Amino acid sequence: AFEDIERLRIWPLPAQVSHGGRRMYLSGDFKLVTEGSKYGDASGILKEGFDRMLGVVRLSHVISGDRNSSGTGGSALLQGLHVIISSSTDELEYGADESYKLVVPSPEKPSYAQLEAKSVYGALHGLQTFSQLCHFNLKKKVIEILMTPWNIIDQPRFSYRGLLIDTSRHYLPLPVIKNVIDSMTYAKLNVLHWHIVDTQSFPLEIPSYPKLWNGAYSSSQRYTFEDAAEIVNYARRRGIHVLAEIDVPGHALSWGKGYPALWPSKNCQEPLDVSSDFTFKVIDGILSDFSKIFKFKFVHLGGDEVNTTCWSATPRIAQWLKKHRMSEKEAYQYFVLRAQKIALSHGYEIINWEETFINFGSKLNRKTVVHNWLNTGLVENVTASGLRCIVSNQEFWYLDHIDAPWQGFYANEPFQNITDKKQQSLVLGGEVCMWGEHIDASDIEQTIWPRAAAAAERLWTPYAKLAKNPNNVTTRLAHFRCLLNQRGVAAAPLVGGGRVVPFEPGSCLAQ
Amino acid sequence: LSTPSPADSPPYLWPLPAEFSFGNETLSVDPTVTLIVAGNGGGSLIIRAAFDRYMGIIFKHASGRGSLLSRIRFLKMVEYDITSLKIVVHSDSEELQLGVDESYTLMVSKKNEQSIVGAATIEANTVYGALRGLETFSQLCAFDYITKSVQIYKAPWYIQDKPRFGYRGLLIDTSRHYLPIDVIKQIIESMSFAKLNVLHWHIVDEQSFPLETPTYPNLWKGAYSRWERYTVEDASEIVRFAKMRGINVMAEVDVPGHAESWGTGYPDLWPSLSCREPLDVTKNFTFDVISGILADMRKIFPFELFHLGGDEVNTDCWKNTTHVKEWLQGRNFTTKDAYKYFVLRAQQIAISKNWTPVNWEETFSSFGKDLDPRTVIQNWLVSDICQKAVAKGFRCIFSNQGYWYLDHLDVPWEEVYNTEPLNGIEDPSLQKLVIGGEVCMWGETADTSVVLQTIWPRAAAAAERMWSTREAVSKGNITLTALPRLHYFRCLLNNRGVPAAPVDNFYARRPPLGPGSCYAQ
Repeated sequence: AFEDIERLRIWPLPAQVSHGGRRMYLSGDFKLVTEGSKYGDASGILKEGFDRMLGVVRLSHVISGDRNSSGTGGSALLQGLHVIISSSTDELEYGADESYKLVVPSPEKPSYAQLEAKSVYGALHGLQTFSQLCHFNLKKKVIEILMTPWNIIDQPRFSYRGLLIDTSRHYLPLPVIKNVIDSMTYAKLNVLHWHIVDTQSFPLEIPSYPKLWNGAYSSSQRYTFEDAAEIVNYARRRGIHVLAEIDVPGHALSWGKGYPALWPSKNCQEPLDVSSDFTFKVIDGILSDFSKIFKFKFVHLGGDEVNTTCWSATPRIAQWLKKHRMSEKEAYQYFVLRAQKIALSHGYEIINWEETFINFGSKLNRKTVVHNWLNTGLVENVTASGLRCIVSNQEFWYLDHIDAPWQGFYANEPFQNITDKKQQSLVLGGEVCMWGEHIDASDIEQTIWPRAAAAAERLWTPYAKLAKNPNNVTTRLAHFRCLLNQRGVAAAPLVGGGRVVPFEPGSCLAQ
Repeated sequence: LSTPSPADSPPYLWPLPAEFSFGNETLSVDPTVTLIVAGNGGGSLIIRAAFDRYMGIIFKHASGRGSLLSRIRFLKMVEYDITSLKIVVHSDSEELQLGVDESYTLMVSKKNEQSIVGAATIEANTVYGALRGLETFSQLCAFDYITKSVQIYKAPWYIQDKPRFGYRGLLIDTSRHYLPIDVIKQIIESMSFAKLNVLHWHIVDEQSFPLETPTYPNLWKGAYSRWERYTVEDASEIVRFAKMRGINVMAEVDVPGHAESWGTGYPDLWPSLSCREPLDVTKNFTFDVISGILADMRKIFPFELFHLGGDEVNTDCWKNTTHVKEWLQGRNFTTKDAYKYFVLRAQQIAISKNWTPVNWEETFSSFGKDLDPRTVIQNWLVSDICQKAVAKGFRCIFSNQGYWYLDHLDVPWEEVYNTEPLNGIEDPSLQKLVIGGEVCMWGETADTSVVLQTIWPRAAAAAERMWSTREAVSKGNITLTALPRLHYFRCLLNNRGVPAAPVDNFYARRPPLGPGSCYAQ
């Protein structure tokens, strides 16, 4: 069994895999066929996914036009991939079926591989797995599949498998974000958590309050409304949701560059002014505009690291607190709950960082998803209270912790000590977080990968099939890191923590 | 808003053109700008492909070319200042060789009495000059976030430009770490943004032999793995991709040192199992293999220069191997004589295939008077080797390791920028023999995960030194004249998807020190 796992170079490891020992070659005009499928592919999501798959399999190598170079008869040629999807819609819904079945025949069998899925997004995952079965044979200059026949039945363990990017600390150009999205598909992650705004900059256009992006670093480090829509569409066509985050009431200094009234005072620029209805009108405007672009059912309202001492130190706010008989902590609660109501009114369900649960968990909207980052026991407490939870404990799943090795990312178990099935069902999944204080276009890819891939397998593969000792999957992860590199992703060597550079010459399979 | 705002600043062009003038008008550019070609070479596929590529770069925001908003705007009959780009290329030759004319003229102006429509015009003698003009045009275009359209500030522009040096190179090393084809292509694409024009491909070294050589097919058994290889077709594709961007590919196989990997497939090339480097100088088989490699490479690499290496040859091993020692004694050779014999014989093989040999400077230092007079000497060790080489009539490529080796991470951008290839050479006829310079990205500690952020932005500092006039890069305080433009260029690279590292960090490829703008880091 160990050797079997060792020879399986698929990452993340599928739920059920069996294979043989034969070899097949892809025909030079390998094609997509969809007879029997209920899905019409009017928007081209499947066709584009198929073409992308062929592109990454070829790895920009030039395929020989000489059919005879395969050195075998027609019976070992795979003519195409037959995809059957039973759902006719390509609506990207959270929690929808992402499962697929993939059968690659041996030479005696019919000459089409078969991919079945409930949804087109399950089929995209199947295409991803198929791409990892294929290798370009550099001697024969054709694409081959070894160890046929393959039978793979696969589905994700968790429905939420996320990656956070932070565009406030450093602006990330559109091509960089798109490259991150592409690389997420290789590891079957499905949520891009976009931490758009923070203390340092407000880069997004908000038509309702157009001066908000005066808080951008410069006039050219911004995302127009159309840019954001393009990112969402780019992700959607790859089966990835975009979770937008505006963090309130803390982490919001940049809002006041355009609208100084949002600051309690010039000397108190954070948190946002809780006493002013204008603050909540702005939040309402932002979320109203968000709802036109960000179709994911959740919106992230932050709520973390709120240092409220400033409020008491501002006379106007102090009077407001006194008038409403609120302590600072109660004002924090008031702010978060009011923001929640605004989000709900726009049709969103809410995600908040864990401090909101710690401080006033019983007051949160019952559909709130609590986002863990600080406390190890929090997940159990949240799910025991009946709320849903996303795991991102910083000790293991914060990518900006450069000394955190991939083994820790792999071994971090979202269920921790939760054994109750109902409580387990409230753990939606997990997310690795690429905070941007020291991350820009020059180092984001090598800081994310390959450690995010280690977490991706934890989130995808059934618990029973995960390695108890992460070092047992070193070879398979190294192979995946090489695959990322071959696809143009600047994934760093495995040896050491994150974003290590190679210290000597060598093969990517060994570094 | 914080700086920079393009409308208020000096010209953010990198590298700085030789001659330019500008005004104070802001022009809008039609997202459906049309290409008009003229001249014998205007219809070249190279031009059409480049135009399409650059339009994709210029109009990358969602309200640009082809987007829904663009179509709505079209229906509203918005009037643009620049609706066409005329490219005039006088020569129909697409030959890309050393010294090809890369000059161009670029004019951008509003409609006026002389012209009923606003237009941009690029005029060049060759398609490759037109490519450089397109790059400059793309750098004049900036997306305006208020009007959500592409604008050209400080119009009218009149630019007459040409490079100072004909050879402006970047070395990549695929032996120490294999670089996937897409990564090499991304490097080539980024080179074109900085108007570099030679990719020096150090394909093979002692660690691995990744290239397919049909004549001796076991050579690539020296690759790290069966996936870390380039087929003949892959290499040809890289050459084609580079040519479409006006970039020559100069291939290097380093002999007789730095060649241990050759023997994995053909152990006879090793003097013995305990002496695997340098190659066995005593066997004709060694030179047959070199001849076979060069014959295969000639089918791939049309560039006239071929690099034969010749550096860091530790010949002690030869003396310690019995049959080599006997061979030396039989010819009354010292090991230095054998080194010379090897290099000269390799040169003759290259010359017989119509190549001009390039060698690292040790060959000149050791036996310069015996080298073929057409040899191009590549400097790396001794800072005044180019002075010595051109004094002897050789051509020279400047690559001083103290400043232009990109794997030396402790060289900040200003030291790269201030390094002058013609230092110490006053005679104009000798200056011409310095054909240019090259920054070297040795691969011992650079793989796919760090190669681009190690190259950029420091290679851009060298690129301007090699493109712009010496006067322009030498006058004034570079903190004022160059640094803001380099910040802007680094941001442009990032916006085009190139992971260029912060400019201001002392050490190369370090992460940003804290949050902030790419224009200030």
